Amino acid sequence: MAQLPDGRALPGKLFIVEGIDGSGKSTQLDLLRKWLIGLGYCVAFSEWNSSAVVKATTKKGKKKQMLTSTSFSLIHAADLADRLERQVLPALKAGAIVLADRYVYTAFARDVARGVSPAWVRKLYAFAVKPTVAFYFRVPLEESLRRILDGRPTLKYYEAGLDVGLSEDPYESFALFQGRILEEYEKMVDEFGLTVIDGTRRLVEQQEIVRQIIQPQLKGVLRAEPSAWREVLAAESVYGRYLEEVLPERNEP
Amino acid sequence: MTKIHFYGDELAGYTRKRPLPGRLIVLEGTDGVGRSTQIALLREWIESKGYAVQSTGLKRSVLAGKGIKEAMRGHTLGILTTNLFYATDMVDRLEKIILPALRAGFVVLTDRYIYSIIARAMVRGVDPGWIRDVFGFALVPDAVFYLHADLPHLIPRVLNARGFDYWESGMDFLPHRDYYEAFVEYQSRLLAQFEIMAEEYDFCRIDATLSIREVFQNLKAEMEDLLVGMRPISPAEAERELAEAQAEQQAKRSR
Repeated sequence: MAQLPDGRALPGKLFIVEGIDGSGKSTQLDLLRKWLIGLGYCVAFSEWNSSAVVKATTKKGKKKQMLTSTSFSLIHAADLADRLERQVLPALKAGAIVLADRYVYTAFARDVARGVSPAWVRKLYAFAVKPTVAFYFRVPLEESLRRILDGRPTLKYYEAGLDVGLSEDPYESFALFQGRILEEYEKMVDEFGLTVIDGTRRLVEQQEIVRQIIQPQLKGVLRAEPSAWREVLAAESVYGRYLEEVLPERNEP
Repeated sequence: MTKIHFYGDELAGYTRKRPLPGRLIVLEGTDGVGRSTQIALLREWIESKGYAVQSTGLKRSVLAGKGIKEAMRGHTLGILTTNLFYATDMVDRLEKIILPALRAGFVVLTDRYIYSIIARAMVRGVDPGWIRDVFGFALVPDAVFYLHADLPHLIPRVLNARGFDYWESGMDFLPHRDYYEAFVEYQSRLLAQFEIMAEEYDFCRIDATLSIREVFQNLKAEMEDLLVGMRPISPAEAERELAEAQAEQQAKRSR
């Protein structure tokens, strides 16, 4: 079950994925989501840094390089708070499954790598719901760097950790910064009881393990009303990402 | 000299090596109590004594000011989000405006500080420990002047100025659908909260039911002592010192 900070249990389930960039966590969450929808569960999804009301401010701060380690930390906390208040908590109270791509552990790892106090950032996020299962996709630094950097992408200022001042070179800075983040993740495995998944295994094997871990948690979870289009989604294993735009409410029986 | 003292965990990346020869002075109080009028008067008075003044207030950060205003206009902010958004605004101004100005020897006058945010959070049922932890990065000011007036004094002022506002009436969480009733209820709760906080944060109480002139004179009397030992500074010198302090802040960030 998912738990409020005061220990009260919520009827829904919160599954979150964590890991450094290039660990493959988003891919796994995507597969998990399709599977759960296919099984007919009611699934809400929330992505790091995506709050409609906060995002514009974060974007401005990053683009203009206005963020310090503390303001970076606070604006991301505001983003999660908004998504919790608006999306995650209502869904969990209704008994649904919520999947989150990155959660508080991303802040604990990144913000501490940027120099804020580990104690303060943990207190800052004391409002967050405790996840049912927190998956940590563990990959060696070299592997994740290879996955991200092979195409020589343009790295953004904060993404590369250039604000931390580890190196002037974006690629070198990125590698050093990711290394620091990885260290923080590793420290958190025991502290928060993260469920470690070996991110170097084949995709299907990882997914199989994730599903096995989640399976026992699914009893009594809210199911979506069966409907004609959901059957199609289940059978054809597509999301229906754009269906909400074209299907009026009344088509739902 | 502003003592380098934070309410909780020290602001990340902050260096204690540099002294803060300026003064951080806060004016607090509920809506309609006359803070901005007094700040305008004080600013002129302090400048006339030969000191440089920087004035600031909530929602004025370059980073988050606009975002907060937009979200509030749409009445779409939850209570946790509001507090964290305000904290972002606060730290941006602390790092970019307040600390550089204090370092350059300015008197910084701030229209509200963390206390209003904490009071608003408290009346909305936010965890008291959590909100204080979040604002642990805030520098302890040299003085907090708490302008207080009771509701019979506040209501006509608010009505004369701009009428009752959605947030200033607590319409986001109170069950009242009537602005007047909600305003009375909300502001009463805020006043009670400020009373509790007055001791915790060592507020200097200023009776704001008096005339504007009397309030100003009382504030001046209290402030004289705070300014003792400050070095008068020419406007040109002040500009230069501030630019230097800001550049230093900038350099630290992208070092």
